[in-house]
Amino acid sequence: MLPDKKKRIGVFFCHCGKNIAGGLNIEALIESSKQIQEVSYVVDNKFSCSEDGQVDIQKAIQEQKLDRIVVVACSPSLHLMTFQRCGEKAGIEPQFVDLIDIRKWTMHGSPQKIAPEKALEKSKKLIELAVKRMRLKRLIPMAEIKTEQSALVIGGGVAGLEAGLDLADKGYKVHIVERLPTIGGKMALLYKVFPTNDCAPCILAPKTAYANIHPNITLLTNSEVKSMGGYIGSFHVKIVQNPRYIEADKCTGCGECVEKCPVKVKDDVFSAGMGQRKAVYIPYDQAIPKKAVIDAQNCLYFRKGVCRLCEKQCPTNAINFGQKPKTVEIKVGAIIVATGFDEYNPTEKSEYGYGRYNNVITQFQLARLLDIDGPTKGQLLRPSDGKEPKRIVMIQCVGSRDVSTNPYCSNICCMYALKHAQIIKEMVLPEAEIYICFIDMRTVGKGFEEYYSRTREIGINFIRARPSEVIQDTETKDLSLKVEDPEIGRLLKLEAGLVVLSCATIPSSGTEQLSKTLGIKLDKDGFFKEMHPKLRPVETNVRGIYICGSDQGPKDIPNAIVQAKAAASCADTELRKNKIKLPQFIVNASKLKKGGR
Amino acid sequence: MGEVYVEEFMSPGCVGCPAVREMLEEFSKELGDKLTVEEVDITVDTTRASQYAVMSVPAIAINGILKFVNVPKKEELKNAILEELERQE
Repeated sequence: MLPDKKKRIGVFFCHCGKNIAGGLNIEALIESSKQIQEVSYVVDNKFSCSEDGQVDIQKAIQEQKLDRIVVVACSPSLHLMTFQRCGEKAGIEPQFVDLIDIRKWTMHGSPQKIAPEKALEKSKKLIELAVKRMRLKRLIPMAEIKTEQSALVIGGGVAGLEAGLDLADKGYKVHIVERLPTIGGKMALLYKVFPTNDCAPCILAPKTAYANIHPNITLLTNSEVKSMGGYIGSFHVKIVQNPRYIEADKCTGCGECVEKCPVKVKDDVFSAGMGQRKAVYIPYDQAIPKKAVIDAQNCLYFRKGVCRLCEKQCPTNAINFGQKPKTVEIKVGAIIVATGFDEYNPTEKSEYGYGRYNNVITQFQLARLLDIDGPTKGQLLRPSDGKEPKRIVMIQCVGSRDVSTNPYCSNICCMYALKHAQIIKEMVLPEAEIYICFIDMRTVGKGFEEYYSRTREIGINFIRARPSEVIQDTETKDLSLKVEDPEIGRLLKLEAGLVVLSCATIPSSGTEQLSKTLGIKLDKDGFFKEMHPKLRPVETNVRGIYICGSDQGPKDIPNAIVQAKAAASCADTELRKNKIKLPQFIVNASKLKKGGR
Repeated sequence: MGEVYVEEFMSPGCVGCPAVREMLEEFSKELGDKLTVEEVDITVDTTRASQYAVMSVPAIAINGILKFVNVPKKEELKNAILEELERQE
């Protein structure tokens, strides 16, 4: 075979103002780069990404007849596409444009900043490698593929529904997969939402109802994604539909089976453990689809082979104990992941007694108790004795802003504590004394600060301190807390009938497994990682897979909606092209040599 | 003289990656300057990984072409490197 013809490689140094030039001897780098094999041209520019900088690069490509370039500047995730487009305009194949980041070693405030001599040494090595990589790089053959005009949304909460509805309204076929038997997610269980104190299920219902009847949407509830293959434009996804043991097309949601079922169990999901449900149940009145589901772990027929009362009672013969998991295979052009969050389980914060003391509950549990359609029909009663608490203490940042659990701020806990305090004071127990123990009150959002002020005005007490311990009186089950109040400079002892922990939001269970199934990365806290924290906040490392809502990090409903709309827009941008170019090896994955192990 | 540039995509905690590393170290000793190996941590350099659409590690690109996903047999990897060297000679 003939040797490849000699390459003409250009190396372009960006000063990035003083961000690079201030921490590095660029002259020295230029001199060393000129010595690298097949480098024909080396130049520097104050700002390579500026209009002038790009014109200079294009001029150099044409005048020097360069066929490959290496730009030495900042992060490829930020600017690689800028320089690929710039090179393409001057006639260079985008694959032969590389960008390497040395700014991380020189910029003030960069966590990776190092001494100038070290930065010089490391930069030299990195440039040598990049030039060699470009010199030896062969052109990847490209293939044009047709994009499926459809999308998969994983998660049927408010973010997933918003993204799904946006895409469905644009004309794409959308499959929404939800692990639980109903769509609606956490929002359906919040009772009210800040800062308007609107009824959460009421404002969610237009979305759930529309998703249920939308001609372009297929809802797959009680279902989970099992495997995924393919690439943007043509993802192959296997979904397992777990059995309801109810024929969904026959079930009318009348609830007669539920009424007759003799088995009562604690409802950990839809009542957050504060109420009970039957072994056959409908999650809640506004559930969509409003179909019953049998919990096989607790059903007497599955456990002991007896009962079948539901079967006898069902007027439409919808009960089917023989139902098996069903695998559904779909092909979609894009995937949006909206798997939401879980509430942190505060049992490991043993100083607060959660799990040991019945009257210590979480904010999510409180939301279920306050809900007029919840397990206590809106009555706030102590779990230990069913009495109304006279004093309620809320503790903020449980499992958040805490190096021993989760270092991040969970973003929504201040606001939902204020919301619950308002609801209790104004609608449930006006005589109750409410204390909120906080580190900082973070009320960043439209109308949030006013909401905080209003909470103060109605007589809620705020103490800037984190209680060290909760102690229970073994007889009365009353609780006591010691808090150092810095504003009055003394140790306060608070007695409380009920303690409510404002717990962190954490990635929902199954997030790690899903990241493996889809090949998308997680951040250090276990949330899905965006491609760039500022500029590409809903894209992932896999083109065609997008993230939105609380699976990307803790956030409130308006921000989840904004991200959902952004994710839908990103998916639309790719799908509407109808055809996209991809490397041949991706399209024809079977040509890849699979390893022997 | 032919040359080969290998991009070895890996991540911390990847079970198969040390085996690939070991093979490449052995080939590097054998082939000297003809072989350059760059370790690319896909948790750090997500852009490079996405350019090759690398979704699982280990993965190996030879002179810009993704050749292997998973752990290849030693012979297969060596042959792929030698093929590339011969292609240029």
